[in-house]
Amino acid sequence: MENKEILETNENEEILEETGLKVADDSIEKNVKLMSPMQMVLRRFFRSKLSIIGLIMILSLFAFCWLGPVFYNTWQPDEVDYTPKTDFTKTEIELPDGTVFTQVVESKDSKNSLAKPSLSHPLGTDKNGYDILARIMSGGKVSLTISFLSVFIITFFGVVFGGIAGYFGGVVDNIIMRICDILMCLPGFPILLIVGTLLQAEEFGIDMKYRIYYLMGFLTLISWSGTARLVRGQILSLREQEYMVAAEAMGYSVPRKIFKHLVPNVMPQLIVSMTLSLGSMILYESSLSYLNLGAPDKYAAWGTMINATNEIDILQNYFNVWGPPGICIIIAVLGFNFIGDGLRDALDPKMRR
Amino acid sequence: MLKYILKRLALSVLILLGVSLIIYVLIRSMPVSFIENKINEMNQGGATIPEETIENMKALYGLEDNSFKGILKGYVSWLWSICKLDFGTSFKYGAPVLQVIRENMGVSFAVAAIATVFEFLIAIPLGITAATHQYSVRDYVVTVLVMIGISLPSFFFGQILKDVFAMKLGWFPPSGLIDATADYGFFGKMFDYIRHLFIPILTVVILSIGGRMRMTRTNMLEVMNSDYIRTARAKGLKEKTVIYKHAFRNTLIPLVTSLAGLLPSLFSGAIITEQVFDLPGIGNKAFQAMIAADIPFIMGYNMFLALLSVIGVLLADLMYAVVDPRVKLG
Repeated sequence: MENKEILETNENEEILEETGLKVADDSIEKNVKLMSPMQMVLRRFFRSKLSIIGLIMILSLFAFCWLGPVFYNTWQPDEVDYTPKTDFTKTEIELPDGTVFTQVVESKDSKNSLAKPSLSHPLGTDKNGYDILARIMSGGKVSLTISFLSVFIITFFGVVFGGIAGYFGGVVDNIIMRICDILMCLPGFPILLIVGTLLQAEEFGIDMKYRIYYLMGFLTLISWSGTARLVRGQILSLREQEYMVAAEAMGYSVPRKIFKHLVPNVMPQLIVSMTLSLGSMILYESSLSYLNLGAPDKYAAWGTMINATNEIDILQNYFNVWGPPGICIIIAVLGFNFIGDGLRDALDPKMRR
Repeated sequence: MLKYILKRLALSVLILLGVSLIIYVLIRSMPVSFIENKINEMNQGGATIPEETIENMKALYGLEDNSFKGILKGYVSWLWSICKLDFGTSFKYGAPVLQVIRENMGVSFAVAAIATVFEFLIAIPLGITAATHQYSVRDYVVTVLVMIGISLPSFFFGQILKDVFAMKLGWFPPSGLIDATADYGFFGKMFDYIRHLFIPILTVVILSIGGRMRMTRTNMLEVMNSDYIRTARAKGLKEKTVIYKHAFRNTLIPLVTSLAGLLPSLFSGAIITEQVFDLPGIGNKAFQAMIAADIPFIMGYNMFLALLSVIGVLLADLMYAVVDPRVKLG
């Protein structure tokens, strides 16, 4: 690998020399392509196939969830298909004397539930007669929005508390870090389950449609400690550098020093951890929905749709009901993980290939 | 060293106090009428929860008194009873909380322990080959497979395995821990346990290999780039000796340390996996209790988890000093 790289640079230099000869009177700036750090990061990012695949996965998922309903609007996600349907189940009954009857049971249903994929329902319908494709689109909107919102809130808390702790040190640092210690030892998922149950109480008057938002909001309150530690650690090492002494000498205000000079230097690590936690937020949200702590059936998210597998019949015979939402979750999480990984390699100057 | 341990112990007590306060506040914000409704539901469902238990619980957590002083009093009295190891009686299971936890921990521990062993056995060799063949096809294949493993939602993957291996192929039973017709001897019973636990363990292993493998790979790469590895190679040592004797030993440091951090997950039970396969483990029990707002159990279980993770963090730090002689505690 290294040999190849040296070869490449040699070639570039040769080309440069050639062009330099051709336009000898031009200044060097015109012939040398200057790259900003951002451009270098982007170039390294796009050099990795996995990050491109991840990006394509996420972009197509976004297009599917937000643009999809524009083209596919025959069914709304909360619209029940009331086409009556009749089912025939045939069973052969053998009498003791050897004669065989075929018993045909005709069952009528007022709604078109558990329909197999067809032209009018590309992915079929679920138990309640909702169209699955339309529901995957709307569920995806919920999952993706929630994951982005919660990651931004967590990062906000983490940057503020971590920044303050790292910059001021001393007592403030101690207090914030102890709070982080406590939050780290808090059993996160069980606590979310309790809060989910708690929110059902009529006294709070919460619309169940929005319960998952409240739940994830609570999750952000208890999970900023990781980000805060990352920011603090980084700022502790940056604080000692010369450019911070210069900033001090210039007499900049404290917020300016923290948010203009220190935080941007933490950004690389922060972006990587943000991308990776996008995936874990989707997993969190869908796990909660799977355990029926999310929105009611009518406003289902991906996790809620997989919950249908609790019925053995659906698990065995109707993969079209629970398979597609699961695949969507995997695509989303995998996409974010690929992007995060690519970004980590691209942003790390030591990771040159 | 001793001073450091004492300091850390004091800090752990402080952390536990903080966690207990948060859990208490959370439970206190449950309206009393909500709890009564839940108890009524349980009573209608066939359970018989004596009035006395409920009154006892209300007194124990100070649920009636909503003034600041009352809340404080409730917290202190609850803490005091915890110190006496009295976690109260669970409504849902009609037994002392500690007893319920003890009785159901076995299955969860078995699943977690076996899964952890397999996780290490599979992930470490994978991590090493990926690192020693960095940027090769092998590295990419392992990395991508492992990434897919990390990204799988446990409930979805569990259901797929259940559908394929238990329903379609019929190789394994879909749920539960033991068949109802279990009247055979010790070995037959063991075999039945293994049959029932195979898919749950497989699910847990596949989901957790990823993290461990990436950890091994990163550490291994870091070590492989250090000077003493170059020296070892320059001495003309065999590549095998360089990798397994010189490099891998140093990769072991973070791996061993992370073992201590696994403590909570060994005992806490996997809520979702146990729910998917309907295993009678502690995670499943806790889930049922939390949905039913079984306050004594919720508080006991969460304090138990917090205690485990505090011990885990403490052990990890101490382990670090034990394994790596360069680390000085102070």
